[in-house]
Amino acid sequence: MESDPTHETLSAFIDGELPPKEMERIASLLAARPDLDAWVRRQESLRLGMKGAFADLMTAPAPDRLVRAAQSAPISWRWRLRRFAAPRVLAPAGAMLALGLVIGIALQPGGEIVSRDGRALARGALATALNERLASEGYAGEGPRIGISFKNRDGHDCRTFEIGGETGAQSGLACHSDKGWSIALLTARPNAQASGAYRMAGSEMPDVIRAAVSASIAGEPFDAADEKAARDRGWN
Amino acid sequence: MEEPGLPVVKDVDMEWSAENIRAQMVQLLPRLRRFAAGLTGSVADGDDLVQDTIERALKNLHQWEPGTRLDNWMFRIAKNRFIDTRRSHKRSGVVAMEVPEDAPSVRADGVRAAEARLMLADVAGALQKLPLEQREALLLVAVEGLSYRDAADILSVPIGTLTSRIARAREALAQFAPQD
Repeated sequence: MESDPTHETLSAFIDGELPPKEMERIASLLAARPDLDAWVRRQESLRLGMKGAFADLMTAPAPDRLVRAAQSAPISWRWRLRRFAAPRVLAPAGAMLALGLVIGIALQPGGEIVSRDGRALARGALATALNERLASEGYAGEGPRIGISFKNRDGHDCRTFEIGGETGAQSGLACHSDKGWSIALLTARPNAQASGAYRMAGSEMPDVIRAAVSASIAGEPFDAADEKAARDRGWN
Repeated sequence: MEEPGLPVVKDVDMEWSAENIRAQMVQLLPRLRRFAAGLTGSVADGDDLVQDTIERALKNLHQWEPGTRLDNWMFRIAKNRFIDTRRSHKRSGVVAMEVPEDAPSVRADGVRAAEARLMLADVAGALQKLPLEQREALLLVAVEGLSYRDAADILSVPIGTLTSRIARAREALAQFAPQD
């Protein structure tokens, strides 16, 4: 005759964690053993009591501060830069940056981006924002918005940005040189209409920009002090 | 504005966009609150733990591997943060266990609110008597409904260890909890 199942076995039975044959064996054993059956029933009732005690938490709306934290607490820079990982994005973006090519530029006549000697350069409000605005000072809600700033492997300062327009918002990456801000990449932002509490989340970088940043960055993105210092010395 | 020969690159992989992950975290709030209330013994302390967990998770999102379960990863962070804060509370002599009268979960009307408060207080009190290693195991399996494998993974213990912790938690709980 087999010895009685331990409480450990009965506990695993309650959780459905025994192999199928063992589940069957315990089930038929319980039918014949009121003492073991009582232990299992008592435990099931305790489990239901526990779940029931927390039931209100599952239906009550979560406090605003928790929702706000999920929607707008700062996200890891490393994740923003790495997560695109899909090679189909990384390889072309990296290769094009290495060759100094520009992709995805929709040149706007008289707009913020112009073509000079085969380069796309920032002009007007975009050039001013790239020269002067600090992401660390927050976004005033008007004009180009600056994302992250960093030094690329060639020693040039680069910045990501967003611009709006009648045809929808675009995100881009610009790097500084003696000719000004050269646009390395410009891409449409499908989710640019987000507003209100989701504004911050909605304004995060498209993958292709992250891929380009990650492919060209030397070290870490600038923090607020680095960004200000780079601005004050007129960008490298 | 798109000109021929100048393709505008589309965003890709929206599933793992920051926006999507934030939305998933909002959806996870009820479960995180439940787990945290069970760990800390009170809704208010649990909510503090959840806030800390979310901030920590977003700040360390690069440590999460897309394609693996975000919920399990966050349970693990909550558990670790709880241990960290408990250590610092112990150092400062703070002990917080009771369920506050104004806990958001018990603001429902009349009798039901009183019953809920009583039940939550009972259960929380009984759970608090368990050693943490048994409490967290039992909460993940019996309340969150996770498999032994997932719970063992979250708690970084072998399945055999988890199995015995749950059994011991159940035996102890049966002693503390009032009979039906």
